[in-house]
Amino acid sequence: MIEVGNVSAFYGKHQALADVSLTVARGEVVVILGANGAGKTTLLKVIGGLVPSAPGATIAMAGTNIAGMAPHRIVEAGVALVPEGRGIFGELNVRENLLLGAYPARARANEAANLAMVLGLFPRLNERMKQTVRTMSGGEQQMVAIGRALMSAPDILLLDEPSLGLSPIMCKELFQILARIRGSGLGILLVEQNAKQSLKIADRGYLIESGRIVGSGTGAALQQDPAVQRAYLGAGA
Amino acid sequence: MALTFDIVLSGLVLGGMYALIAMGLTLQYGIARIMNLSYGESLIASAFAAMFLYTGMAVNPVLGLLVIVPLSFAANWLLYQVVLMPLVKRAKNQGMLEVDSILGTFGVLFVIQGVMLVAFGGSLQSYSYLSVPVHILTTTLAANRILALLFALVIGGGIYLILTRTRFGTALRAVAVNPVAAQLSGIDIRAASALAFAGGGAIAAAGGVLISMFLTFSAASGVVFTMKALIVVIMGGVGNMLGALVAGLLLGVSETAVARLVDPGLTIAVTYALFLSVLLWRPTGLFGRPAR
Repeated sequence: MIEVGNVSAFYGKHQALADVSLTVARGEVVVILGANGAGKTTLLKVIGGLVPSAPGATIAMAGTNIAGMAPHRIVEAGVALVPEGRGIFGELNVRENLLLGAYPARARANEAANLAMVLGLFPRLNERMKQTVRTMSGGEQQMVAIGRALMSAPDILLLDEPSLGLSPIMCKELFQILARIRGSGLGILLVEQNAKQSLKIADRGYLIESGRIVGSGTGAALQQDPAVQRAYLGAGA
Repeated sequence: MALTFDIVLSGLVLGGMYALIAMGLTLQYGIARIMNLSYGESLIASAFAAMFLYTGMAVNPVLGLLVIVPLSFAANWLLYQVVLMPLVKRAKNQGMLEVDSILGTFGVLFVIQGVMLVAFGGSLQSYSYLSVPVHILTTTLAANRILALLFALVIGGGIYLILTRTRFGTALRAVAVNPVAAQLSGIDIRAASALAFAGGGAIAAAGGVLISMFLTFSAASGVVFTMKALIVVIMGGVGNMLGALVAGLLLGVSETAVARLVDPGLTIAVTYALFLSVLLWRPTGLFGRPAR
């Protein structure tokens, strides 16, 4: 369970996030919908420790406040971020990328089981273990990125636009896999442009506009919400 | 034929040294992102230390390695934490850190050089350790050169295996490839950078001790080694270990060939001619990835 409370963030004088609060429980997919520049990516970066939050924020991970910690310590606390642009090691091969995923101390004990789980989710990686990652297709690189994050044995997985640049078939496959990952008990916080697909698998969702949470609801309720349909699902346009 | 073999053999010894010290610079520049202009000075400081231990305390250079290399690792780690860490902390991007570290280590260069000038004077130094000829097929080579080459192979090979075969080494390479993703994989990149910088300094120290066994050196010759290491790194392709090995050997053999066949004064000219022609042909180095 991760509880984000009163998170604000600034780029110079520009306020990117204003008092954002949300929760993600284990075994739950939560999606954040919002236009470009609304602050979705910044929110994930703040949780992952890549962007500092303004004073007063709490990000409680199983009771410990991880706000302001260095990114590598946040990983140890059980939060794994797959950033936009995937955050993989292009010059290294698949095996090395997955090996590095299990670098945190928390990941060592169950490393073999986690590797089996990742290769079960992405059987294609098993055949490509020695391939240099930058020579792989976008979809395969996304598999490496998610696999890398899962190797750190997280409780909460943060995904920034995982479907970006994927073919429709790959995209469908990806959302099926996310549903399977949720089944294993992880909490997933998902930022997506693809509102239709992501709301289908989401348990809950938040709407973000100009750095503020302006709405929230269950996945099913948001799918029926006229404002959401107009803005993100292409209805009534 | 005998002459060719002689040149190739001596060239390989020299080239092996270049490749080794280029490896240290690669660790410092590729992983810690510090362009260390005082690299050659720390190499020469170790050469002096080896000479002092051997001539003053009868500790031979091979045993000297065991003392000098760990000390140098510690000294470089401290240098990183005390002098360079403030630059790392305030740098907004990689380019800024490169410029700041060039200026900072330029100062460190003169500090180390000044101390050496005071302690050992400015004249050329050398000592004689294992300078007995060994016959190899049609030629002879001093035993100390063979020993130096063997140690360079063992040290360089060992570092290569650590970097490619262990999780720790892979983590160091990961920092070089993508520092942001490295943090997200749970790697403490500041600690990793400090270790890489210290490791690079330790390799420079090993290189200095080995080189001191067969070359003359002075307090002012550090810059030559910084330059050669830099040329080898760039010629091989920045960050590419195999490239550094090939470029180092190429440089060693061609310098030796010109020194023997034409004139020793031309070695630096040859170094640059080779450097320029490689870069004209492949701007990112022999094994470098084409820039996009």
